[in-house]
Amino acid sequence: MGGAAAGVLAGARRMTVIETLWDSLPYLLWGAFPEGQLGGAALTLLLSAGSGIASAVLGLAWGIGLATATGALRTALTLVLGFFRAIPVLMLIFWTYFLLPFALGVSVPGVLSVMCALSLVGGAYLAHAVHAGIRGIGAGQWAAGLSLGLTRWGTLRHVVLPQALRMMLPSFINQWVTLVKDSSLAYIVGVSELSFVASQVNARTMIYPAEIFMLVGAIYWLLCTGLDRLANGLAQRAQRGNWQHKSFSRKGHGRFA
Amino acid sequence: MIDQLREHLLAPRYIGWLLDGWLATLWASLLVAAGATVLGVVIAAGRSSSRPALLRLTGAYVSLFRNTPLLVQLFFWYFGAPSVLPEAAREWLYAGHLLSFEFLSALVGLTLYAAAYVGEDIRSGIRGVPVGQTLAASALGFTRVQVLAQVVLPQALRIALPPLLGQYMNIVKNTSLAMAVGLVELSYASRQVEAETFKTFQAFGLATALYIVSIGAIEVLAAWAARRQAFSPGRAA
Repeated sequence: MGGAAAGVLAGARRMTVIETLWDSLPYLLWGAFPEGQLGGAALTLLLSAGSGIASAVLGLAWGIGLATATGALRTALTLVLGFFRAIPVLMLIFWTYFLLPFALGVSVPGVLSVMCALSLVGGAYLAHAVHAGIRGIGAGQWAAGLSLGLTRWGTLRHVVLPQALRMMLPSFINQWVTLVKDSSLAYIVGVSELSFVASQVNARTMIYPAEIFMLVGAIYWLLCTGLDRLANGLAQRAQRGNWQHKSFSRKGHGRFA
Repeated sequence: MIDQLREHLLAPRYIGWLLDGWLATLWASLLVAAGATVLGVVIAAGRSSSRPALLRLTGAYVSLFRNTPLLVQLFFWYFGAPSVLPEAAREWLYAGHLLSFEFLSALVGLTLYAAAYVGEDIRSGIRGVPVGQTLAASALGFTRVQVLAQVVLPQALRIALPPLLGQYMNIVKNTSLAMAVGLVELSYASRQVEAETFKTFQAFGLATALYIVSIGAIEVLAAWAARRQAFSPGRAA
């Protein structure tokens, strides 16, 4: 980074685009890391992975809640989820950023409040996917589970959810890609993830703003499409394994027929 | 008692700031929704065409704009794009003859981003129109453009209406990101009021309520459209 700034100040030799971008690349990728704090694309990944796990847990819990709760509890849950889906993520980040320290009585780092906001929104979206997935499993599966002597919870846990989750996998993958993109909103509260360090680099170098944001866009694009490919590949492999499993049992049926 | 209450409420001046911000949000959303729908139709047409070049081009557009954050795109249009324009054009844009530069770059960024989503929804609408419709229109001597504009699109838009309304809700919510490039809309105004008055709850609370009202209005519209569609004749099949 110092190199880039010095190059501009010297003025004798304008730095080329490639040199400027190459000099900024380490800072964009992992911030000031070994010497300073982790930032850039590495922090973006960490932030989205953390909120990805938390939103999956929340989404699962709320989705099961939607599918099983009745009466006032169900209405309350629907209202809360509707609230998280109706307001902009940015607004929710404002809320968690100011409310969390107030509610917990300790100072909360910006990363955590952003993670909290992203998990709540992501969980609210996933909850509806989980709910739909559970409802998509036929009543026959419930009846079969219950008639085997499983409790309602046992039927859900061992019979319905494993099938529903397989159907919901694409929703979860989409949600992760959305989270990588939404983690850029942490910029607004000064968390040094990729978008924030990009604006820092842009302010510091002052030249080539178009090229800098194109490079940053390319990094995000690689992260998002890479995650999408990886997750879809894993999902397909899981599906294939499952199919083989099924064909095995079909063979079994043939033997008994 | 009333004085005590007044102490906790926002002064009319600040409520005015928030309402002005809300109007800016609504105005920007309306323009973006209109622009994204028009551009979305073009993208959907390209994605449904049989020419490989068009297919690849629109496919790349959708992948590019959907797989990068809106915030980075807004930064690109605000900081980056002017730097590659000729000096005279840049000066003209910064002078804000037509619209303020903040508003213009936010509009461009939001529209291009939303169009990638709207286009995909319209495309699935087009796929939902039976092939027989296209064949019948072609047999009647319609040109390819006429088939699309007069036969397929009206039906496709009808099928795509529910997801499209969802996209319009996203557009309203996404305008909040324009505050990062200095557009004074609802989120910007709430931050401003908060900084000025230190009444965090009231400022964010009112802004949140205004967002919910906006989204709720589209939700009501969606429910009304769904009911109308369900009862309209000839849609049973």
